[in-house]
Amino acid sequence: MRDGGRRAVEFAAQLLDRCESEAVLGDLEEGGEGWWRDLLDISGLIVRRQALLWKSWRPWLASCGLALPASFLLMGFSLGVTRSFQHTGGMPLLAVRILLLGAWAWTGGYVVAAMSKRTLWMSVASCCFPCLFCLARFRVPSLPSPCLLLFLPPAMWGVWQGSRLSGVKMRTAMLLAAAVTLLTLLLMGEGLPAVNWVLIWPAWYLAATGETSTL
Amino acid sequence: MLGEFEYLLISAASGLGDQAYSGAIQREIVAITGRRCSIGALYTTIDRLEGKGLVKTWMGDATAQRGGRAKRMVRVTPKGVQAARSFYDAVTGISRGARWAGKDAGGAS
Repeated sequence: MRDGGRRAVEFAAQLLDRCESEAVLGDLEEGGEGWWRDLLDISGLIVRRQALLWKSWRPWLASCGLALPASFLLMGFSLGVTRSFQHTGGMPLLAVRILLLGAWAWTGGYVVAAMSKRTLWMSVASCCFPCLFCLARFRVPSLPSPCLLLFLPPAMWGVWQGSRLSGVKMRTAMLLAAAVTLLTLLLMGEGLPAVNWVLIWPAWYLAATGETSTL
Repeated sequence: MLGEFEYLLISAASGLGDQAYSGAIQREIVAITGRRCSIGALYTTIDRLEGKGLVKTWMGDATAQRGGRAKRMVRVTPKGVQAARSFYDAVTGISRGARWAGKDAGGAS
């Protein structure tokens, strides 16, 4: 029990910065109080740290302004892609839809992670909630329910890259944003709901915050 | 002006001098005030003070007593000394007429 408790304290400390976690664990070791008290102490610090992060607009925008609404829209579009795969023969149109789904999901994931790395857990939860909600209510016999989640692989790839890379080159980001806008425009003529326009803002956010060359 | 806990922290760090680090400051505050001082309150207050330029912190040496982990050392800056002195002057000044500040400080009324 004692070892398990100590491990829980060390696990919780990983939610802090590396240097801070080192200093806190050392202080707790010196204090020599029980693991339960240490766990409460470290949890208190983590809660305070998280509360400070949420004073900024960035985590709010990443989770409530992007992850949550984009998940609903991307699930709807994933469904549309599956339907167009089943019913229409137009390969070019299907290719455009797949490309656009990948681009929307990747840019969304990237921006969510880049905007607020330390509150990523909340953005992930904001994405999981609509997914579970829709999966539980999905009743279309002709379609398998996992088709709702087609957007997840590119989105997760975007999150992974956004949390590791410092930024996207300005030129690449501009090209990507222009391509996403063009593809969206193309599909608007094919009956894509206008609300999907909101999915292009992550691409333009990347373009606006892209790294300029310092040559 | 400093808050009460900020003043306690700066005073403890100043008193400890070169030996001032988060764990030692925590023990000092507990020993003097008799109140529990949580790691969360301590670290966030150190950060706030550092943000205001009142203390400077850096990672120090690791010791076996701490399980080989580094210390977060704290030093009070001249600006911090000035802020603590203002707080001290304000508290001693305002307390001058108070019943508990006189020679018969132990009295009930």
